[in-house]
Amino acid sequence: MIDVVGFLISWLTFLGIYGILAISLNFESGTSGVTNFGKAFFYGLGAYIGASLTVYLFLLLNNIDVSKVSPFDVEGIVYLGQFATKNPLLNIGLFILSLLLAFIVAGIVGYLLSYPIIRVGPAFVGFTLLSTGELFRIFVLHYKPLGESKGIMSIPHPFAWIPNPTVRTALYLAVVLGFLALTYFVFNRIYNSPLGRTLRAVRDDEVAALCLGKHVPKLKATVLFIGSGFAGIAGVLMAFYLGSISPTYDMIGPPITFNVWAMIILGGMGNLTGSILGAIIFTFLDRLLIFVTPNLGITVFSPDYIRGFLVGFLIVAVLLFRPQGILKEGKIETLAWKVYEEEVKGEKSG
Amino acid sequence: MLPIDQNTILNFLFYSFFYLLFAVPLTLSYRTTKVINFAHANFITYGAYVAVFLNGLLGNKSLLLASLLAFLVSGTLAIVSYFFVFKPLEKRGASMSLIMISSMGLWIMYNYLLYMLADIAHFFSGVNFVSYGRILYTDVPEITIGSLRLSSGFIAVCATAVGMSLFFYIFLNKTSLGKAMRAVADNPVLAEISGIQRDKVITFTWLITGGVVGVGGAIWTSFSGTVTPTTGDAMILQVFTIAFIGGLVSLLRTGIGAFVIALIENVGISLLNAWFGVPTSFRTFLTFVALLVILIAFPPLGAAGGLPFRYRKKRGGAK
Repeated sequence: MIDVVGFLISWLTFLGIYGILAISLNFESGTSGVTNFGKAFFYGLGAYIGASLTVYLFLLLNNIDVSKVSPFDVEGIVYLGQFATKNPLLNIGLFILSLLLAFIVAGIVGYLLSYPIIRVGPAFVGFTLLSTGELFRIFVLHYKPLGESKGIMSIPHPFAWIPNPTVRTALYLAVVLGFLALTYFVFNRIYNSPLGRTLRAVRDDEVAALCLGKHVPKLKATVLFIGSGFAGIAGVLMAFYLGSISPTYDMIGPPITFNVWAMIILGGMGNLTGSILGAIIFTFLDRLLIFVTPNLGITVFSPDYIRGFLVGFLIVAVLLFRPQGILKEGKIETLAWKVYEEEVKGEKSG
Repeated sequence: MLPIDQNTILNFLFYSFFYLLFAVPLTLSYRTTKVINFAHANFITYGAYVAVFLNGLLGNKSLLLASLLAFLVSGTLAIVSYFFVFKPLEKRGASMSLIMISSMGLWIMYNYLLYMLADIAHFFSGVNFVSYGRILYTDVPEITIGSLRLSSGFIAVCATAVGMSLFFYIFLNKTSLGKAMRAVADNPVLAEISGIQRDKVITFTWLITGGVVGVGGAIWTSFSGTVTPTTGDAMILQVFTIAFIGGLVSLLRTGIGAFVIALIENVGISLLNAWFGVPTSFRTFLTFVALLVILIAFPPLGAAGGLPFRYRKKRGGAK
């Protein structure tokens, strides 16, 4: 018997996190033409900032000398587990601090990274960001204060003080969905603003936009700042949801980027609602596969490979046969358009 | 006294020749077809796995046979990618970014396909293909000069890299097909008007690209400690950085770039290790720093769809 409530909560949490990634990537790549293949980098950066900050501050604020008790040792993990249920205010406060810091740091890193890459073509942008992600992973893998290959375990859940696990995860789900709504709201506003229209112009014809006096590199740097900041938030949400994070290929490596790309291509490039739709379809199938595959009994090869293969196949097939995705890129909804449409309709009926 | 031993120098040469084999075809394929191909990593891996499967399933000990088959398999893979994905997209007038994204999709697909093949082969033969040890070939001799012992893998890669360079030089400068290839690279429309069959030239370019890279991958199995399905992915940073040094247009500069990156990676890290105690596992960071330096100091302006935001005095350069 499948646990329906557990399935729904886990699916919707993943949907919220991937939705944030998909919307911000769609804004970067679909609307502004910055081919960001390094989504996993900003996501992983956010996750690591949030996780390491919380773990270290948690021990420090509970009067434990971090230089003696490392949060990666068994002793430190035991302490973390003990203190997690004691002080609700500390848990929530650190959670909020992580979110803020992750947004700012990931955003600034995105802004700085835009300097070398924005002036050259899309190939260089995509490739440089992709390799930045892999290098970040290698760095974490060999850097002692971040736990090396063990990763950071036992991150105190912000609602760890609630004894009932279902209520705890449901409350966290509400937070995640709240952030998804905030992301959609922010990007929808930017998308329909003059800035959004300028960005679409840049995407369609860089030379023309440049000739009309738009500062193309600066605009793209702004886009990378906002998009990366939100990816950092998604990373923090994932780190706190899972409770542990490690520099494995599947956790902060390229597969994250590929999944998000598959979502926005399936949903429709340049359509923010489409990317949520893509995220819904994708995460649902993903969670379903995780629940179903152990029962299939395939022993010749790992079913994970089929999943990875399908991600690539989906990208290629959608690009070949339905390049606009499920939902086409719509027109801009400005105030003037609304007034115009009302008047036209009024004239027709009147 | 410089802390460089004989081994570092040998490794430097090894990597130089491999990078030459991997990066020069990338530049060639980009400038002829205008496709940023992330599936380039798969050509390396598939070449290596042809050799691995031949050795593991059939007990093959001949590098020549493995290389020939790797040429065919990787070349076929490249042509298949072109015919079923890049060509229809190009016909529809898709932008360069979209073609690049589709090549990324292909990259993922081929990668997991290889994992599946390795698992299926494991299921039937019981040999672990996901992490395969170094293969010893018998048909390439070892050469000993004084105290210097050159392994058979070194002889093979040295001969192949030099042979490829000579082949490309003669092919592109002397034969009509090579000249046609250069014409398509410079101006596809004009080339087509002059009666060059562009489609044929591009198909041939893909065959050569995939093939040469596949041969490099097959030789890689005689050098690398272990071969995994991510062999090619691990090298993609270096290969693309080298191609960017060449600005994705100049084969000569790409060749020089191969030696520069190999020097930075092998000699540079051993110097840093001896002087500052930088761990050798951070060698990739040097390549990344080199990539950023290239992009900031010598940006390949106008290449790969970029805008020449910063102008230089002398434009154009070697082609």
